[in-house]
Amino acid sequence: MGARTLRTLAPTVAVVVVAILPLLVTDRYLLKVLTFAGINALVVVGLALLFGHAGQVSLGHAAFVGIGAYVCAYCTVRLEWPWVLAFAAAGAVAGLGGLLLALPSLRLRGHYLAMATLGFGQLMTLAFVEAEPLTGGVDGFGGIPFPTLGPIQVEEAASLYWLVWIAVGVALLVTFNVTSTRPGRAMRALHGSELGAQASGIDVVGLKVRTFVMSALLAGLAGALYASVVGFVSPSVFTLAASVTLLAMTVIGGTGSLAGPLVAAVLLTLLQYPDAVAKGLPSETAQTLQSYQEDIYGLAIILVVVLAPRGLAGVWRRRSNGGEAS
Amino acid sequence: MFAATGAINFAQGEFFMLGGMLGAFFTGLGLPLPIAAVAAIAATAAIGAVFELLAVRPIKGGDPLRIIMVTIGGAVVLRQMALHLFGPDERALGAFTQGASLKALGAAVERQTIWIWALTTVAVIALALLYRKTMFGRAMRATALRRDAARLVGVSTSTMVTASFALAAALGAVAGLAVAPLTQTSFHVGASMGVKGFAAAILGGLGNPVAAVGGGLILGLLESLTAGYVDPIYKDAVALVVLLVVLFVRPQGLLGGSGRMKV
Repeated sequence: MGARTLRTLAPTVAVVVVAILPLLVTDRYLLKVLTFAGINALVVVGLALLFGHAGQVSLGHAAFVGIGAYVCAYCTVRLEWPWVLAFAAAGAVAGLGGLLLALPSLRLRGHYLAMATLGFGQLMTLAFVEAEPLTGGVDGFGGIPFPTLGPIQVEEAASLYWLVWIAVGVALLVTFNVTSTRPGRAMRALHGSELGAQASGIDVVGLKVRTFVMSALLAGLAGALYASVVGFVSPSVFTLAASVTLLAMTVIGGTGSLAGPLVAAVLLTLLQYPDAVAKGLPSETAQTLQSYQEDIYGLAIILVVVLAPRGLAGVWRRRSNGGEAS
Repeated sequence: MFAATGAINFAQGEFFMLGGMLGAFFTGLGLPLPIAAVAAIAATAAIGAVFELLAVRPIKGGDPLRIIMVTIGGAVVLRQMALHLFGPDERALGAFTQGASLKALGAAVERQTIWIWALTTVAVIALALLYRKTMFGRAMRATALRRDAARLVGVSTSTMVTASFALAAALGAVAGLAVAPLTQTSFHVGASMGVKGFAAAILGGLGNPVAAVGGGLILGLLESLTAGYVDPIYKDAVALVVLLVVLFVRPQGLLGGSGRMKV
């Protein structure tokens, strides 16, 4: 089978595997982890667009996930909105936050956005704890209902899994559309040379701001899904460490690709729950693995950037192209 | 550091953390404070240089995005290393000189505060002299300005970049050591310090040490005023708000002259 057939077949196979997985996996814990993988993947799709296509770095996307989670919690529990409305509100508020952050930082060339998002993330971690009337403070926000789509309540582990991965699928379709049409070409031009892109009449600032807002919006939606799946939101989840994890998934996945980051998101999420993948793993080993989690991400970022700057996607592309030639 | 590579170094805050933590570690071994301080500064500078050699130098072409990513990864690794080696607890460092606070103009001033001011002044003067008067400093500035041209006139640009990392690390360590007796230190102080330092630098104007100190001064004042008159919990938000406002209104900084890098 040639690399080209493989490339056209791969998405179909992936969709089928993802779709039938709940029928094969009977272990509820593993299924939950795979659902989390989908939530991470949703954020990473947005980040991949931002990093891989528009060449910008965010160190604060966990904050947008947090905003989405809290907005969803507040709207469903306190305001008793229908879930779909709360879900949409979560995306909208996170997107708006992204707009407010991106406008000042992206007017400048260079990488001020990274620093601004780092500060923003810290500010939001603080806000989640301090804004007690809205967020429940240190104790977190509990009692969040399962998602409801009209009359249907989604509460089975398998249905939650499907809901999350359908969201990932829709996000992928939308972003794929963006990257393979005019804005995507503009983004790649931007990645190549900002000056060149500008000279060709691309609204560089507007494009970067739109990309950032879109990635923040996706993170907000992911946060809403997280809140509804878990039923509880704690401020200790949306930290700098979480943002770094998301960034590591994106970077390891590779630039200029959506599939690479998606695969990396799933693999790294599984790595976070080693006991779900390898049953019977001694809990001490699992804990040691978890305490070195961040070291692994930090090292992986350095190694990938230094040795394989195009990430998993780049390695894969090189290999399949080499195969074609021989 | 910004001056030499044109990229933001996200590990700078971690060098600050390392200075304080290593200082506390060495005094914990029983070393007298001055020796422990020198050892901590030297060790941090060495870590900065090694980091540059291992992770930054292999990046050909000096793509700023990749350098930023590497410094982010480096910051994470340094923070985790400090966590594994020194544990999650806060650590205290003794004041440089013992004794009661000094009274000046009706206000009590901690002796350590005077140390911080003295060290800052010395550092700024030393940096200014280094950049303006010595061959080494001029070579560093030339590297920052235009790497190819610097190489053409015989500057070893890669050595300059390594040196600037070590210098930045050493300065970060000095700051970390000086502040540790006042605030205590811990493995996680690096990130927020990084943001504050960057906010101060951009407020003053990037790549100008005197202006950065001015920016830091204004930032510190704003933080204290917020904590005193509004609410202490907003203190940490000040740096970010300042950062965003400056980026929005006056990206070249308060003292920065030319409209450099403005889109």
